[in-house]
Amino acid sequence: MSLENNTQVVFNNKQVDDKQVNNKQVSKSAVATDWFTVMVKHSPKFLLLLLVVPVFGGLIGVILPALGWAPVLNQYHIGLQAFSELWDTTGLGQMVALSVATGLISTFIAFVITLMILAAFFNSVWLARIQQILSPILVIPHAAAAIAVGFLIAPSGMISRLISPWLSGWEFAPHGIFPHDNYGLSIILGLTLKELPFLLLMALGALAQPELGKKLRQQHKVALNLGYCPMTAFFKVILPSLYPLLRLPLLAVLAYASSSVEMPLILGPNTPPTLAVAIMHWFNDVDLNLRLKASAGALLQLAVTGGILVLWLLAEKMVRVLFCEMLTNGKREYGGAFWQKITSVITTLVVLFITLSLVGLVLWSVAGFWRFPAILPDSLTLLHWQSAIMQMGTPLFNTISIGLITTLIAITLTLFCLEAEQIKGKKVSPFISLIIYMPLMVPSIAFLFGLVLIQQLIPQFIAVKTVYISYINVVIAHILFVLPYVFLSLSSSYRQLDKRFAIVAASLGAKPSKVFFKVKLPQLLTPILIAFALGLAISFGQYLPTLLAGGGRISTITTEAVTLANGASRRTSAVYALMQMLLPLIGFILAWVLPKFIYKSANR
Amino acid sequence: MQSSLQINNLKLFRQNELLLSVNEQINGGEILTIMGPSGSGKSSLLNWLTGSLPQGFHAKGEVLLNNNNITNTAAHLRHVGVLYQDALLFSHLSVAGNISFAMPAGNKKQRLEKIDDALEQFGLSGFANRHPDNLSGGQQARVALLRVLLSEPKAILLDEPFSKLDVQLREDTRQLVFEQIRYHQLPALMVTHDHSDAEAAGGKIITLTRPAAKAEIKQIRE
Amino acid sequence: MPTIKFAPIKIVTRSSFCFIAFIIFALSSTSLVVSANIGGTIETPKTVSTTSPTVKSSEQTAPSKHWKNIENSGRNQDVFFHAWGGDPQINSYIKWVAEQVKAKYNINLQQVKLSDTSEAVSRVLAEKSANNDNQGSVDLVWINGANFAAMAEHSLLLKNWANELPNFTLTDPINNPAVTLDFGVPTQGMESPWGQASLSFYYDELATTNPPKTLNELLVWSKKNPGRFSYPKPPDFLGMSFLKYALVVLHQQSDAITQVQDKSQTQAQLYLPTTPENIEIILEPLWAFLEVLHPQLWRKGEHFMQSGVEMRRLVDDTELSVAFTFSAPEVPAAVQRYDLPNSIRSYAMQDGSLSNTHFVAIPYNASHQQSAQLVANFLLSPQAQAYKQKANVWGDRSVLIHSALSDAEQALFKAQQPHPSALPVDSIKATLSEPHPSWVSAITDGWQARYGVTR
Repeated sequence: MSLENNTQVVFNNKQVDDKQVNNKQVSKSAVATDWFTVMVKHSPKFLLLLLVVPVFGGLIGVILPALGWAPVLNQYHIGLQAFSELWDTTGLGQMVALSVATGLISTFIAFVITLMILAAFFNSVWLARIQQILSPILVIPHAAAAIAVGFLIAPSGMISRLISPWLSGWEFAPHGIFPHDNYGLSIILGLTLKELPFLLLMALGALAQPELGKKLRQQHKVALNLGYCPMTAFFKVILPSLYPLLRLPLLAVLAYASSSVEMPLILGPNTPPTLAVAIMHWFNDVDLNLRLKASAGALLQLAVTGGILVLWLLAEKMVRVLFCEMLTNGKREYGGAFWQKITSVITTLVVLFITLSLVGLVLWSVAGFWRFPAILPDSLTLLHWQSAIMQMGTPLFNTISIGLITTLIAITLTLFCLEAEQIKGKKVSPFISLIIYMPLMVPSIAFLFGLVLIQQLIPQFIAVKTVYISYINVVIAHILFVLPYVFLSLSSSYRQLDKRFAIVAASLGAKPSKVFFKVKLPQLLTPILIAFALGLAISFGQYLPTLLAGGGRISTITTEAVTLANGASRRTSAVYALMQMLLPLIGFILAWVLPKFIYKSANR
Repeated sequence: MQSSLQINNLKLFRQNELLLSVNEQINGGEILTIMGPSGSGKSSLLNWLTGSLPQGFHAKGEVLLNNNNITNTAAHLRHVGVLYQDALLFSHLSVAGNISFAMPAGNKKQRLEKIDDALEQFGLSGFANRHPDNLSGGQQARVALLRVLLSEPKAILLDEPFSKLDVQLREDTRQLVFEQIRYHQLPALMVTHDHSDAEAAGGKIITLTRPAAKAEIKQIRE
Repeated sequence: MPTIKFAPIKIVTRSSFCFIAFIIFALSSTSLVVSANIGGTIETPKTVSTTSPTVKSSEQTAPSKHWKNIENSGRNQDVFFHAWGGDPQINSYIKWVAEQVKAKYNINLQQVKLSDTSEAVSRVLAEKSANNDNQGSVDLVWINGANFAAMAEHSLLLKNWANELPNFTLTDPINNPAVTLDFGVPTQGMESPWGQASLSFYYDELATTNPPKTLNELLVWSKKNPGRFSYPKPPDFLGMSFLKYALVVLHQQSDAITQVQDKSQTQAQLYLPTTPENIEIILEPLWAFLEVLHPQLWRKGEHFMQSGVEMRRLVDDTELSVAFTFSAPEVPAAVQRYDLPNSIRSYAMQDGSLSNTHFVAIPYNASHQQSAQLVANFLLSPQAQAYKQKANVWGDRSVLIHSALSDAEQALFKAQQPHPSALPVDSIKATLSEPHPSWVSAITDGWQARYGVTR
């Protein structure tokens, strides 16, 4: 593959050279030896390296120990010992079932609700309103969301307080099963609430693409004119065109939901936990031999997640075959009014649920005594904020500095790669796009541990303080997860940029670097800032990568929040969860305000 | 009974500014042409007729289709077909799929036969299973017309339907569309920039002025 | 939970190990108040008599040359202190320590917050396996019990440093075995004592006016108040402590009945390493007890909380009415922070309180060994110990012996007016020593096999 790429590059250079000869006007801007052009052209390869090495290195670091080869543990006996140990684990079936069920069901519910909302409110002002209400949820890290949901559904949570004691007669918290119920319902609820806004915004993002969006809206109108009820029109006309754009986010959600650690850790059962959580415990166990079993478990997780993805794709095919007839059967109405009402009810419930969670979180963070079943705290205090902020110095610094460095690298690379696209005159190869999104599809628990095992060998060769190495490791691990989102968010704006500006600038004698920095980047200020805020938000929310790559030595607000979530006080956890939400929110507010400010001063 | 589309005392506003007022009746087979510069409210008029007036606009007046008041009827229950300048064929469906999507539900075999007949009539035999994106502009326009006609509309709206076609194609397509409107005795309303379209329509022509000129309507010709 | 936690480790026999589920909090500390003296209740460290050595304070003795070297070479460095990080109060105390050593030695003390001390143990083990013998990432670790036993067994700890600390003499080590034995395992200068703790109980006055005062009463009370009591899932240290308390008490009772005729069944076996033969027999009474208790527990014993802090939160939520802690001062401290209601009252079980000491240790490959010793010595100073004992700071009992302190130093320890929710002075009537660390994994394995997976 890389060979092919190389030849392409050479070939393209040649093309440029030819053009130079033919077209003297462009020659100045297209000199192949221009450092900027060279750097930009090589950036996709660098990006590839940055993504492929950690992921594949990590996978190898898991596969070898799983097969019994682990020099660090003095194990050289190749065999399936680790797998048979894994197989003998009590409750393994339950773990896998829990992972599969929570992953599939939560994704499915989130997807269905997303579709219902889109269908019911397509081309209506309500869609924009729902978007406004739900988009802030997107920046809430999973851990914070889990904490908030846990507060809501606990036996002494907001819901039960609202109905006690006047309705329920409960003077003390009732016996309940939430959170941590054995069926994983709490996990499903948490994941669904978190993924729903993500999927919805992804869909709206696709619909916001000028050409596609306009076309689909007009087609929807055509269907209405042809007598289709709006919801039917959505499912028969919009969905078939929209779904391919949602596939990637959906698969990412599935992969995440089936292998994540934060939600099951905070909301899930522990007799037994989900597979991913169990693997994490095995890896962290004092008994290093358990790492072999954990590695085998990581491969099982890989298979489980892969299986779920395949299952989803198969289901997708089946749905297509089964419903293909229905598209053109001419039936216009499937109880649209009824479903419209149901959707309104579900949407209201979702919004209420989220609002109530957030209100609960804010109240807990400032609550004095607050005995069940009081709806409001007896008194309010800033004590919890004060003492938490006193403690927060280092984690806060780490969170922000890692976020900034990671995002800066990710944005620079993304911009260079997109510029390389334009110089070469064609989109990055499908292979590279696949690689960019790969970290979202491969369960992070599967390769991060391998990464850690490999990294443990490094400090001996490099005379750098281990702290710095941990720090660099965390940055690299974060880049894996920040890059895809930054790329996703920037690429469409970059590709839509009117190329005539660059042509005009070049014809005026501007070098490629000047065109890039002085013409393109300023035009892209708003999308870049938004991508930056998104990158920060993603980096801020990372739990497993921070914990593993940093060897637990780098603490961030998120790792602290998860550590505190099941323990300490609701009040302290609430403060940390709110901090987790505030940080990305500040980023987005800045991204929103700065361009206005800059343009305003520029207009003077 | 002759079909008709009646627009009674319509006053269309953007924010609070009057865009246009119309009071017309179009009988089956007649084509009312609306001309005017962009921003004069032509598209808003169409949007109002189809029941999808965007935010920021409001209207007074009513619209009757075959003497039924459909002013407040939901867009999809109006039975008003529209042809846009873009064919807007669904790219996830084949040509036949696009058409059968539009047809009323019913016996599958009969529907397929009807589609084949229609395609043949329009010079598109053998195109049933083609993908719409691979069709030429003229072919796409014909499929779009077929799609509207087979949905059995009670009136038809034309939104600059031929402006994207080149001259020869434009005349052919126009002729086909107008023939079909007359054949099916459908009331039709066409919005266009193009004088030749207006003349070919052979009906009443209304020219809108810019809204700044307060929505005067000049009647050029009866 | 300001406290003392030690993380039970598993030196696992893999087959018996079903997945160990969450070990979220746990860790560190404690060791027995006592000693090789096997068996029975043991007195809390005696307030040492006048016969004790006359050392009055570190300030008074001239520092040895050895210590001077350490003071010189240990300055101006980083120290990575791996300590369980689940309690904000303890974390702020460590932060305070960091400020002090920064001012004193320009040492940059950083707490690496663990959710389980075993994480640090496995890190050092991994480093050793990778032949990293002097660039270790752990400089100082908060530890005791099974984790200490494991590290000592694998020679992962620096030896003979703790007994050289100038402030170590203030613990009166000659007369106070609590600072030289960790769960019955001699410390051999590998760890320096930091604090001590006993298992005490607390209850919500508004929910129950008559809390259980013995293990038997607990069973009766749970039947009357189903779902209002539980314990953290082993290997969480607090849950493990409860199981050990139950185990020791059950054996005391049966020994009393059988008059200790059958030696193999006696409580004495709890203070020796497990053998494959005695595990089943010794643990049998515990499983029998749990079979009866579990159906009455919170969530019918089908789900257990992960940690002691979670248990405390459930008391605040009114889901539980009775709970326990290894650090009595955490209770009033939590009430003052609003984390527990005003109606909480503390008490000690009449059939005995499990007690132990917790320590800090330095891995053999620590990058900053001298600096770590300076920190450890500071942790033992009257100033640091007195500050730690304050109820509003941490409330962890000091390991220093009063008679070894100067008057000025003793004055630092003056207690404030006790809070209504605090454990009344002298309520601990009898202490129970910690069983040998090997019992921790025996109990964990047995527990996991029986209750680890809900059917």
